[in-house]
Amino acid sequence: MTKHSKVLVVEPVGVKTLRTDQLQANPYNPRMLFDKAPMQTLEKSIKHVGILVPLTVYQRESDGKFFILDGQRRWICAQKLQMLKVPVNQVAEPSLVQNIVTMFQIHKLREDWELMPTALKLDLLMEQLKEKSERKLAELTGLDVAVVTRCRKLLSYSKRFQDLMLDPDPDKRVKADFFIELYPFLHDRVVAKTPYSRPDLTQKMLEKYQSPHGGIKAVTDFRKAKQHITNARKAGKLTALSRRLDEFVEKVELTPDHLLIPAADVSAQARSLHSTVEKLHDALRKLDVEAYVGEEDLWSALESLLATIRKCLTAAGRRVKE
Amino acid sequence: MRTPKARGKPIDAARLRSWHDRFEGYRVAVTDDRIRTWLRSFRGQDTDLGARVLDAVMFLKPENMEAALRDRVGRLPGWHKSKTRRRGKWRFVAFSISAGESGDSMLHRSRTALGLTGRQHDELYIHKADLMRAELGAEDSVVFFDDFAGTGQQACRAWHGDPEKGITGLAELLPGNPKTYLVLVAAGQRAVERIAQETRLSVLPGHVLGPADNIFSEDCKHFTSSEKNSLLTYCKRADRRNPRGYRDCGFVIVLAHRTPNNSIPVLHANHDRWRGIFPRY
Repeated sequence: MTKHSKVLVVEPVGVKTLRTDQLQANPYNPRMLFDKAPMQTLEKSIKHVGILVPLTVYQRESDGKFFILDGQRRWICAQKLQMLKVPVNQVAEPSLVQNIVTMFQIHKLREDWELMPTALKLDLLMEQLKEKSERKLAELTGLDVAVVTRCRKLLSYSKRFQDLMLDPDPDKRVKADFFIELYPFLHDRVVAKTPYSRPDLTQKMLEKYQSPHGGIKAVTDFRKAKQHITNARKAGKLTALSRRLDEFVEKVELTPDHLLIPAADVSAQARSLHSTVEKLHDALRKLDVEAYVGEEDLWSALESLLATIRKCLTAAGRRVKE
Repeated sequence: MRTPKARGKPIDAARLRSWHDRFEGYRVAVTDDRIRTWLRSFRGQDTDLGARVLDAVMFLKPENMEAALRDRVGRLPGWHKSKTRRRGKWRFVAFSISAGESGDSMLHRSRTALGLTGRQHDELYIHKADLMRAELGAEDSVVFFDDFAGTGQQACRAWHGDPEKGITGLAELLPGNPKTYLVLVAAGQRAVERIAQETRLSVLPGHVLGPADNIFSEDCKHFTSSEKNSLLTYCKRADRRNPRGYRDCGFVIVLAHRTPNNSIPVLHANHDRWRGIFPRY
């Protein structure tokens, strides 16, 4: 039993039958999209043997209507088969939190569903349960921790941006991916030091993304921007970067490549090469020479590498010991 | 649709002034020059037809829109300006938002129209993203604001989403089943009926445009069949795809902040082959 168990478990009331037309889908789960094949199998089974597992329902106190907590597919089949009554297991009207958690647990979230409404439900849960741990929220809802993390990123944006993901015209909605990809850029420590507030920066980036001539062509462009910023910071090129960052934010047409500082980019490649050299060095140090003595190709490659290394060192003015 | 002047009535200074006065305040200034240029797009004998189309235009100024919003909200059961005299919780939300003009603009107008500009009324005005947290139940009410609905297609899609494509609808944000209203400045009758039939939204338009408001329909008696055919020729030049306006609505309504695309394209199309008086940009 977790600390939330008491508030999350719905109380049973009893088993009975109800008229099929008395039931309604749960308003917390309007995502009634089920695969056809399993539905046909279920329909066949119900036609032969009836509904063996009662639906879980609750009665809303305010208007007496019955809502399905679990068994929406059975109910749809019963309607198709024109069954007048269905067996139900009635539970007490769940609290808001209980209802949302139950829906999360019963209905596995399809990957391609828009994330914002899920994020809003998660927000409610966080508020009601005073729970912020992503791992615990993932356990409660059955969502992947990664999904919870993405939801929390969306919730970090101001309401006006959240609304853009809920535009009534689906074609005009800004996809959650935009805000999720933008998040690391917005929260970069160098970016945070610019004179722009996060909402202002978000708005500017949105314009760059939505304008036909905007410099952000794909949401993944923010990864490039972040990479260039990181490289510049590691190379100590913050002054040059700061100027470029201002220009990048202000001029809608500038692409993330504007943030590329050539010297910083070389540094990044150098760091990458350094890491490769260290790995090779480590492997060679551990090499059991006797065991590999017959591996002619390996020794030839190493001789060739040694020659190249000497050449590079000489060219760089380093003293090469024999 | 307004009743146009009699056929053959001269396009004189007084008539120009009446158009100018009526269309004052459109987002792109409707000058005499603009009107004259537009009328010249009609061939000689059709200039009178163009002038009569302009006469028929129903132009809603900001004050007309505010009056419509005030009237509709004022009639909602359980609503009162005073919080203590309201039934249940009330929340006002912009319906469409992406353009930053229609829903948002109407929501803002509703504050002035209803005298709710004071800070004490801030809690009424929320974002869509706040709806779930608002925990609205059957006794509560949500009023969505927008300017126009032509056929209701967009509102229905907005309400239900598109499950096949994983698109969520507004209904998902209102699990507590509150009363939901869609207050509009104007709407086509088709839209009102369809939205009422397919969603839980009660549609409350300030002005309803019926079959007679479709300039191409037989119910519209202000223009003859021959005039309608001629007009259609110009409309085709203005917009080959939707010569009768989006979804064949054939409306001649213009809102001061934007012309609905359900209105006929000779009014709003804007390209090399046609320059409308009321461009939508």
